Amino acid sequence: MSKQREITVLTDVTLITCIVQRGIADTIIKAATEAGAQGATVYFARGTGVRERLGLLGVAVEVEKEVINIVVSTDDADRVFEAMYLAGKLDTPGMGFMYMTPLEKAATYIPAALIEKLTRAHK
Amino acid sequence: MPENTVRFGEYSKEVSVRQHRISYRDLAPKIERDAHGKPIPYKPPKLKITFKDASRILKPYISVRLMEQVSAVFPLGAYLMGFQYLILRQNVVDSLVITGGLLSVIIGLMLYMEGLKLGIMPFGEAIGNTLPTKSPMPVVLLIAFILGVGVTFAEPAIGALQVAGAAVKAENAPILYALLNDWSLATVLCVGLGVGVAATIGTMRFIYGWSLKPLIYLSVTPTSIITGICYFYPNMRTVIGLAWDCGAVTTGPVTVPLVLALGIGVASAVGKGDSSLAGFGIVTLASVFPIMAVMLLGIYVNQTVPVETILASAAAKAAAAAETAGPKAWWEVTPGFETYMSFRAIVPLILFLFFVMKVVLREKIRNAGILTYGITLAVIGMILFNIGLTYGLAKLGDQSGGLVPAAFMHLEKIQASPLYFYALGITIAMIFAWVLGFGATLAEPALNALGLTVENLSNGAFKKSSLMYAVAFGVAVGIALGVLKILYNWPLAWMLIGSYIPLLIMTSLSSEEYVNIGWDSAGVTTGPVTVPLVLAMGLGFGNAVNALEGFGILSMASVCPIISVIAVGLFVQWKTKRLKMAQEARIQPAEGAKA
Repeated sequence: MSKQREITVLTDVTLITCIVQRGIADTIIKAATEAGAQGATVYFARGTGVRERLGLLGVAVEVEKEVINIVVSTDDADRVFEAMYLAGKLDTPGMGFMYMTPLEKAATYIPAALIEKLTRAHK
Repeated sequence: MPENTVRFGEYSKEVSVRQHRISYRDLAPKIERDAHGKPIPYKPPKLKITFKDASRILKPYISVRLMEQVSAVFPLGAYLMGFQYLILRQNVVDSLVITGGLLSVIIGLMLYMEGLKLGIMPFGEAIGNTLPTKSPMPVVLLIAFILGVGVTFAEPAIGALQVAGAAVKAENAPILYALLNDWSLATVLCVGLGVGVAATIGTMRFIYGWSLKPLIYLSVTPTSIITGICYFYPNMRTVIGLAWDCGAVTTGPVTVPLVLALGIGVASAVGKGDSSLAGFGIVTLASVFPIMAVMLLGIYVNQTVPVETILASAAAKAAAAAETAGPKAWWEVTPGFETYMSFRAIVPLILFLFFVMKVVLREKIRNAGILTYGITLAVIGMILFNIGLTYGLAKLGDQSGGLVPAAFMHLEKIQASPLYFYALGITIAMIFAWVLGFGATLAEPALNALGLTVENLSNGAFKKSSLMYAVAFGVAVGIALGVLKILYNWPLAWMLIGSYIPLLIMTSLSSEEYVNIGWDSAGVTTGPVTVPLVLAMGLGFGNAVNALEGFGILSMASVCPIISVIAVGLFVQWKTKRLKMAQEARIQPAEGAKA
């Protein structure tokens, strides 16, 4: 059987990126999941900034970081953003940094039944 | 209303935290320009931190590191105290002092590990990365050797040997007494020389890509032969246990990472570090060579120093101790003595590392502030750990070890003893030893890390949990066997030789990677909490049942996990082979049908 392959593109998506000290990502991802995020990608990185400016206190800030990437729907973005901020205690010096980026489009596997249901609902 | 929009009311309900908006333009530093209009490089000023902010920064930093040690120490302490209270129905003597001691161990280890990470490891890594490219091979090997000696002194568990030495009676085991008291520095030096030789050979193994198997045969066989010889000298018999226990003591949290950092640095510089097993092997060698070194020292002492001299010196020491029972010099009483010991352990290592960095490599020392902080932490941590070792771990282990025999035999301390009839009492003692070994091993953080590495190395064939359980099972059986050895005075030499011969056969059958994993996992399991506790328990147990000496438990606890891990490895090997054969058998008829 030769079915034409097609691509379903998601719109209204937003990327939230959060850079924290190594070992904290899991709690933040848990909070984000509870706020409606469906998945997360974490990678290891190394960062500088506040650590150098803290003097001796800087040893308490891990040089090795975890970078969390989470893609959410634009409607959920603010809520997830806020949940992550609170869970990661980013209102503490040296804890981390996060930002939100609008994405033009995204694509992944979407179950055929779901696509059908959605197109029918829109018609 | 279209679905993909949100009403403002819903939005404001969901966003619960008040938001401010600030333009980043106002925060970003203004770059100033000099007279020629060239921008002056911006230097960020130091931050001013309020006390509240500082405590919020420090809270997660401290709590993570504290919990790591609490989870290693607390269950063991609770188990020993609980066992004593519930099964033996004895109150814990000096329970406040012991609790204080255990707290001191927890805080000491926390500070020491952090100090090690910040103050000592950067040297190890820098030297490992730059030394092989800058210096000729003999210099690299010489530095590996000296480093091996230095790290042995800095190993926290090595202090346990000195503490243990106080419990040995000179009349029962003169040579053992001499090695742990008058010759204790020489003993530690011999252990260090053994580790040094191991570091050198291990580094050469990385360079030339040698297989571990012949090295194991070449080091274990002579060690076993010397053990056999020692058995025929009645005075030397007691040293065997100490020597084999030393092997377990050496491979702790300082030796393994520092020596590995150098070895891996050398391997990657020479370009033969392609093997995924590059990090393995040194731990094994570092636990075999010290055994040989200590036994050779024992033989030397046995040949040169007559027993009478040792007894006389022991008697003189006892008399001197009785005479000067009053005020002691500051370096002989508690905080002073531990401080002196800790400086003696760490400072030479750091001076040597500094020397290599400055004189041999001519490297600049970066982040001097953080390095000083780390070194200070390491020294303070070592002092606290040593205090806790004497008043917490050693005391608790000695007490439980001394009371456990009350389950099956009469002890003067406890009137109601034996508490249970003989067979049940022995069973209870065995279960006690077994559970202690099993629990202490599973709590060891290094084992968890090793488990992950092994799972990655074997592509998931050797599961992390199966490695951890195999090692813990081995240690548990080993400790139980060691307790039996002390109880019935079984000859340790034959127990060790008897278990190493099948082990060597299994090693020759096993594949290279499982040999590496199996032999190394034994060294990893015996950490700075388990070693003093088990050592003290054995000595207390030995004194209670009137055994000649209480060593040997640790050595059994390092053989048995090697056997169990290699056995599991052989099983995994056999299973994958069978799976492969089954797959081939399935493919062949299918191809035959096609043809």
